[in-house]
Parts: sequence; structure tokens; C-alpha cells
Amino acid sequence: MFTAQNLISIGIAALLTAGLYAAMSYGLALIYGVMKVINLSNAGFLMLGAFMTLVYSDAWHLDPMLGAVVNLPVFFLAGWLLYTLLVRRVMAALPIASLLLLFAVWLVLQNVALLIWGSDDHSIITAYTYKAVEILGFRVPLTRLLVFAFALGALGVLHVVLGRTYLGKALRATVQDPQAAVLAGIDTERISALAFGLGTALAAFAGGLLTLLFSFTPAFGTDLQLKSFTIIVLGGLESFTGVMVGAAIVSFAESYAVLFMRASLQNVLSYALLVVALVVMPGGVAQLWTRHRS
Amino acid sequence: MRRYLRVGSVLFIVPALLLVLVSPGRPAAMPEIKVGTVLPLTGAFGSAGLYFRQGYQMAVDDVNNGGGLQVGSQKYHVNLIILDDGSNGTQSRSLVEKLVTDQHVNFLLGGYDTSLVEAQEVVPDQYKIPYVEGGGAASDIFKRGYKYLFGTLATVYDMGTTTADFLTYQMSQGKLPKPLTEAVVYENTDHGKDYINALTDEAKAHPDLFKIVLSQPFQLNGSDFSPLLQQVKAVNAEAFLSDAHLPDFITMQRQYLQLGMYSPFISYGARGPDQAGRRALGDGADYLVAALWWTPALKDPGSQLFTARYQQQFNATPDWFQALAYDTGRVLFAGVHNANSLDGTAVRDSLARLVFRSALIPGNVIRFGANGQIQGSPYVVVQNTPGNTVRIVWPRNLPETRDVTLPVPRMP
Repeated sequence: MFTAQNLISIGIAALLTAGLYAAMSYGLALIYGVMKVINLSNAGFLMLGAFMTLVYSDAWHLDPMLGAVVNLPVFFLAGWLLYTLLVRRVMAALPIASLLLLFAVWLVLQNVALLIWGSDDHSIITAYTYKAVEILGFRVPLTRLLVFAFALGALGVLHVVLGRTYLGKALRATVQDPQAAVLAGIDTERISALAFGLGTALAAFAGGLLTLLFSFTPAFGTDLQLKSFTIIVLGGLESFTGVMVGAAIVSFAESYAVLFMRASLQNVLSYALLVVALVVMPGGVAQLWTRHRS
Repeated sequence: MRRYLRVGSVLFIVPALLLVLVSPGRPAAMPEIKVGTVLPLTGAFGSAGLYFRQGYQMAVDDVNNGGGLQVGSQKYHVNLIILDDGSNGTQSRSLVEKLVTDQHVNFLLGGYDTSLVEAQEVVPDQYKIPYVEGGGAASDIFKRGYKYLFGTLATVYDMGTTTADFLTYQMSQGKLPKPLTEAVVYENTDHGKDYINALTDEAKAHPDLFKIVLSQPFQLNGSDFSPLLQQVKAVNAEAFLSDAHLPDFITMQRQYLQLGMYSPFISYGARGPDQAGRRALGDGADYLVAALWWTPALKDPGSQLFTARYQQQFNATPDWFQALAYDTGRVLFAGVHNANSLDGTAVRDSLARLVFRSALIPGNVIRFGANGQIQGSPYVVVQNTPGNTVRIVWPRNLPETRDVTLPVPRMP
């Protein structure tokens, strides 16, 4: 079990899983960062993103990767509308109001999916579903590699958008100090709607990508959502690079833990990490990094 | 305006009431038996819950279309009340209680899967209402001394021993190496524990035949099995045996193939031929071997008729879920009929004595042991073949049994 070959194989699998975890957590981190709202409907949009990818695949034989990209504008609009019509109205209330509202949205999305697609397991099989590539003598599943590449690509695009564009600067300013952002002339209301739209689009994008790996039902995403919470807390809640690092911590811990403990305790490990992060370093790895630099 | 509204209401309401009174279903004078069931129509087990609903409904339709259930000198219309537990154990138990206290059901049909049946099984004895289930197969369900609980599924332990018998024969035919190294992964439930216990007992009893080189439990409804599968890959066993429910089976087999893994023999317990699994995995489900409680490949007249009826009604091929639900419903009705009474204790005693000879399961007979569990271990072993077909490969004495393809071909 502890051969170099096995340890490297586990490491590769963990790295690829980290990409998957990061992809499904970006949206959650973005919305929390800008609005301090925990988007419980994230899993619902992840699931709906998977089903819409199935629709594109059935109707137009669209590859799931392209389907995931098509999800971006479609769900950006859905998120924008959700914010404008509902979420905006509870922003001034206690945080529990938005939490309950978005939980209700999640339940509604699940039931809508149930009405349309039923409770059967659905999946998309492509020509490369079972294909793999050899990298330095190690077999790497092509679908996982693609999800990883897309997750890295999304991180890169987000990095550029946040760092180089007015929108990104306005978003970051709103994250850092909403009142100062208003004083600087930023329409924070509009920025919040944009952030919610973008966060929702990222969730649906991830849902589309995950169809390459998993079958899905209207209940899809529930376990992954819990994992996403752990990841964004570990990552410092507001940082995309932190999300990637948080995803890597969870993924590597889960993967290598199988060597020492029962695989059935994998989820327990994730939640233990969440508790430890909340108690020991509530600011996540971003806080540790800031402390180290200062 | 008010007058028009009144006239309008009368125009709509009177015909509606008349329609209710004359609607087909049952004669107005026929009394009703309420049968309740709590199924996972949503959540992780949603697909299986839907299949159980279909099977139960077919059994109820049989009775009602035949003029009702004869109990003593009276015929009764059967009213099936179904509630959805969302695949949640806590909710499942309280909904069964709700069926009894709010809906006043006379009898109960069981839910699906083992964990939800275990959550439900405490209620029937409390209210002395017979409960027949075909969705929970762990032997632990029947070790708690309940008297009003009856199960039509052979245990998962028996599934493990049936698989071992099948493997022993294949080794004797030179189709698999002897001794056979086994990597066993199983869900962390009573279902999974039954499976690993059976395989461990077989390995201890026959060290010359079986050698378990890996035994690992996994979390039910897991999202990522790749770390576990890396362990399986590392031990390079000749047989990969997994006890998994449908969603886990689909995810695990998909990841197994994506990791480029291969074993000369692969089985996921009772999973493999499920239509949902085959749709989700495509060619990736070919040549899997499964031990089942029923398959449409059985050629006995009852199974063939059921398959044809199901296909006609639902435009799909049935799996064991629907067939066992159908059997379970019919067993309950036979028990009620034989009891000549609607009294819970009388029906319970009738079920305990029942020998039901027109079941769909292999052997066609259902009778219960003292603990309420079906007697015998009526399993068939099947192998998926390309083109969404299956063939029965065990037991050898069935006329429809064919040779198994072993070692399984590598996926191109």
C-alpha cells in the first residue's frame, strides 16, 4: 500500500479531485465575499446546471464541456433575476432571512427538477467518458483532467477579471469595504446583483462539468455543498486562491487518509477539518498567509 | 352578479359531485381497506422508490380490477396510500406512524432500502399492524424480535454465499484462478456488513478457495470513490466485489473504468442489470455479474407475464424492484384473504402460516420463518451482456441458465 507508485497515484487523484472541489466552490465564495450571504441554493444551481447540460446534450448533441460554458450566460441571468426579485429584499434583514430564503429556493429547484426529470439517475456518456491518458507512466482519467483544466482556467479568468477590469476592482472594493465603495461612486447594489449572477453561473458551470464524472438526480450536490462549505472556510471565505488551497487541503487529506483509516470516515474527516478551521483559524489559509507576510 | 356566480357554481359543482359518485373504481357500497406505505420517492433512493410504487400499484390494481379483495363474505376495495420520506430515515419512521394514527391504515407495505426499513420496522409492533416489506435485505432487520414484520427478500448474507458458490464452481471449471484473491468494498450499513460477513465466513471456511486481500467499508451515497479505488488497484485482486446501492454503484463503476482498472471478475452485489445503471454506464456495465432476487430473464410463465404487463403499462423493462414490490403486495393480500378478517393479529398469524405459491421469485414460493424473514435463499446470478441484455448464469438447474463469460473482457 505504501509503495511510491501507489502514493503518487493517490497524489495525482487528489490533485484532480481538488480541481473538481474548487470548481464547485468558486460561486459560493464569490457571493459570500461580496454580500456576506451564504448561498444555500448553490447546490440547487449545481444540480440544475447538470440537468441543463443533459438537455443541451439530448437536444443538440452538445458536449458537456460546451454545455457547461453555455450554462454561464443562462445562469448568470437566472442569478441576476433571483437577486433582483428576491434576495435584494432581505439583504437588510438578519442573515437568517437570506439563509432561509436561499434554502427555500434550493428546495424549490429540487422539486422543479423532480417534476421535469423525475427521480431516476441521469448521466451523459461521451466518447471519452472511459478514456485515460498516460502521464509519466501514470494513467490519468481524461474527464478528471478536463475538469481540473477547466477549474484552473476559471481561476485564471477570475484572476484577470478581478485584477484588471473595472468590474473586478469594483467587486473587490465592495468586498473590502461596502461603505467606502459607495463613497467612491460604486453602485454596490448593481455589483451585488452582478456577483450573485456570476456566482450562480459558476455553480451551474461546475454542475455542467460534473456530468463528465457523475450521474445525477434532483438530489445531486447535497454532499458536495457541505464539502464546499469546508473548502471556503479553509480558504478564508473570500479568496479564490484560498478556495483552490482549501480544495487541495480537503482533497489531499481525504485521499491519503484512506491509507490510515476506513474509507467510510472520509466525510467525517472533511467535517472535522471544518470544525478545526472555524475554531483555530476562522480566517482560513488566507489569514495564515497574511499573518506570515506581516 | 352574485346570482350569476351562484348559478355558475351550481353548474360546475353538481356535475363534479356526480362525477365523483359515479366515477369508476369501486361500487358505492363496497367498503375499503387502507394499505399504507412510505417510500423514498425523492432523495438518494428516489429511483428505487418509484419502482416500488409501480410494483405495489400493480398488485393493488390486480385486486381492485378483479372486483376487490375477498375477506370472509365481504369484498373490499383496496386504497393504497403512499407518502414520500425523501430517503430520510427519521422522516420515514414518523410518516409510517402518521399513516397509522392519522390515516388509520389497516396494513402496511414496506419501504426501500435496508436503512429506511430499519427505521420503519419499529412501528408495526407498536400498533399491531402487519407490515410486509420487500425492500430491506439485511439480516439484522429480523433479529429484533418484531412479530408483525415480514420480509420477502432473501438476506444479503445469502447473496454473499450464493456469489461464493458461483465463484467456487467457476474455479472448478478453470474460468477463474484458484485460490481467488478478492478485494471487497462495502457500504457502511447493515446491508454491507451482511455481505462482508458472508464473504469473510466463506474465506475462513475455504482458505484454499478464497483469499480476501482488501476489505474496506465506504460511506453510503458517496460522491468520490477514487481514493478507495486506488487502494483496490494497489492490491491487484482477481475479483473485485462491491456491495453498493444504485447511485454508489453508478459512481463507483464509472470511476473504476476511468482509472483503467481491471479484474477478471467484477460484481456489485445486486447491482448491474438495473435499467438506470445500464443507461448511466452504457458499455461500462457490460459483463458485470449480479446476484438478484428476480430478473426479467426468468422464463417461468408468471415472470414472463409480469414483464409483458409492466412493459405495456410503463414502456420500460422491469427490474427486481418492481417484481419484488408486486410479490410483496400480493403476499399481504393473500394473508388478509386467508385470515378472513381485518384484525391485525389475525392477519399477522395468517401471514406467518402462509405458503404463497404464485410468487415471481425463483422457485415461485414465499413462506416466512419464525422471525418473519423469507425462508430459503432464492437467488439468481446474472451477467450483463452487450446491447442491454442479461443472461442467467446461476443456479445451474434452471433451463434458461447459460455459460458465463469469464474472465470478463477488458474494455477497449
